[in-house]
Amino acid sequence: MAVVQINNVYKAYHDTEVEVKAINGVTLSFEKGDFAVVVGPSGSGKTTLLNLIGGLDQPTGGEILVAGHRLSELRPSELIDFRMEHVGFVFQSYNLIPVLTAAENVSFIMNLQKWPKEKRKVRTDELLSSVGLSDRHNSRPSQLSGGQQQRVAVARALATHPEFILADEPTANLDSKSAESLLDIMEKLNHEEQMTFIFSTHDIRVMKRAHRVITLEDGKVISDELSF
Amino acid sequence: MITEIAWKNVWRNKSRSLIVITAVAIGVFAGVFSIAAMNSSIVQRIDAAVNEELSHIQINNKDFRSSSDIQNIIRDYPSLITVLDSTPGVINTTGRIVIRGIASTASKSTGVEINGIDVEKEKRIFTLKDKLIPGTGSFFGAPTKFNSVFVGEKLAKELNIIRYTLTQDAFLKLESEGIPSAVITKLESLRDQKFPTDKKFSVAVENILASSEKNKFIYKIKEAAWSYREGSKIILSFLDINNNQTGAAFRVCGIFRTNNDMFESLSVFVPVNELRSLTGMTEGSYHRVIAKLENNDLTDKITPTLRESLPGFEVLSWKEIQPDLAMLADMMQQIYGIFMGIILAALAFGIVNTMLMAVLERTREIGMLAAIGMNRRKIFSMIMLESVFLSIVGGIIGMIISGAVIASTAKHGINLVKYSEGMEAIGYSAHLFPTIGVQFFITTTILIVLTGILSSIYPARKALKLNPVEAIRGE
Repeated sequence: MAVVQINNVYKAYHDTEVEVKAINGVTLSFEKGDFAVVVGPSGSGKTTLLNLIGGLDQPTGGEILVAGHRLSELRPSELIDFRMEHVGFVFQSYNLIPVLTAAENVSFIMNLQKWPKEKRKVRTDELLSSVGLSDRHNSRPSQLSGGQQQRVAVARALATHPEFILADEPTANLDSKSAESLLDIMEKLNHEEQMTFIFSTHDIRVMKRAHRVITLEDGKVISDELSF
Repeated sequence: MITEIAWKNVWRNKSRSLIVITAVAIGVFAGVFSIAAMNSSIVQRIDAAVNEELSHIQINNKDFRSSSDIQNIIRDYPSLITVLDSTPGVINTTGRIVIRGIASTASKSTGVEINGIDVEKEKRIFTLKDKLIPGTGSFFGAPTKFNSVFVGEKLAKELNIIRYTLTQDAFLKLESEGIPSAVITKLESLRDQKFPTDKKFSVAVENILASSEKNKFIYKIKEAAWSYREGSKIILSFLDINNNQTGAAFRVCGIFRTNNDMFESLSVFVPVNELRSLTGMTEGSYHRVIAKLENNDLTDKITPTLRESLPGFEVLSWKEIQPDLAMLADMMQQIYGIFMGIILAALAFGIVNTMLMAVLERTREIGMLAAIGMNRRKIFSMIMLESVFLSIVGGIIGMIISGAVIASTAKHGINLVKYSEGMEAIGYSAHLFPTIGVQFFITTTILIVLTGILSSIYPARKALKLNPVEAIRGE
């Protein structure tokens, strides 16, 4: 069964008098364990597609099913719970909580989900170790490099075993060494935890690592290729 | 977790938070201390009214207050005392004879209320004995062979039984009070001259001192030069029980000083037996019975109970005898509320402004929190807690400072000597000892927390309106 099923989805924005179709009849599905990238030129609809899959935005047509949930049927408050329970987010600008340490950032969503303290600690230790930051538990984001912050963000996204991880341009702000290191970690987690990753990117290094490359142009899928 | 994040967020921009906390602390201090100072004036006035002038409850013959007729005495005084003694909360009682009369000296005469008192019992109820000016007599001490009278300083001045002389002792006192030597040198020209009235002495001082010196030091100079004419006599004239004019010479055996000029100039006290024999009233007859309670809070409870138990008498609490004072006390409570409300409203605007800045600066972060699953209630709580922390930290600091300053000034007092004449003319002390109840601190703390919560609503609503997609992408 597909983790994400997208059926003939449209998303239009009304910018003054002109209607802009950011997504124009996309049909896709993502299976468990996918390591897929969505590529395309600026304005092709990559980020909009990820926002729709992540329940951050609602389509103007078509339907998206995630883990049995039809997203268009969820109320805003239900969408928040849906995101917390089923989706892991990795943002371009890391977006960690600056006043919390690396460990506290990782356990943040576990906290929201009211995990027991001991269980949170075990999972946090395990994830920070997986992303190579077991010695930076108590570091604040301002004390970490960009690459390290993004690794903490990946650990946070994975913490509560979501259905999939959405990563919007995760390497855009990283140098090549940090980007490669981050991709190594994501690949390892994809392999070890069978975690589904869906990226949007311009970065050729990400495309090279992906198992599946979906190309968007003017809101339409123009190619969907496996690349092992 | 939300609490922890909110607390840490408060300290993200330390200087901004410290400015707001300082503003809250100063505002709370200003409010609490001002109210404590205002409150002290009322509390001291009530305290003086109860402990020096009225006590808690007075019981009169039903017609006594309307006619003031000497014949309106209390019938069956022993039964009345029995009822009072058996009433829980009543700790002391005494009877008084109260008649209107005229006090005269060779140069002046004035209308007074003559109170015949049982000296020993009065000492257990009133603190007037503590108001005796040292060296003016011993009215509350050993009995004298002659008719003795206890009068107020104001009346003593009106009747010219006080004089002013700058003696050697007075000069030594002025030096010890820190009066500049230039002023003392000028005052030398008045050495040992006797001034029979306050006015004549003031004019003499005014003629030799500069206006600023006079304004600054006249109070201390008068205090040093003031002396009582020992053995002064005054004539008290009044009607006896048969409505015949009578009277007698009384020797002043004590002068009291309170903060109430009216009380000082109208009330004179003589031993009840002397007045009884002069008026021809029978043994055990009184016009008024005065009851002292365990504490002032019992007044409203016991007064109606006594009124029910004593239907043939007029039972009045001090609040009913001086309704203006009771009304002022009630009104001041409302004024304190308005005063604190204005201060807290001003603080609320400061907090709203700060929190709004904090929310707008953290648009991306708040959007991210919403994106990863932090619900609206938690985001609202986080912003609200930040606001509450700001206000409560400032509030607690403000109250600690207030408490310390109130404790210090309550010990030494605030001397508004410049306004003493005006304040004492209406019965208020110019020497304030700020005081405020624990209840006020508790109420203020609750109000500060409420201010924090209310101040957070607008910024928190702004935060909730953020669209996560736009918030994350926008900088």
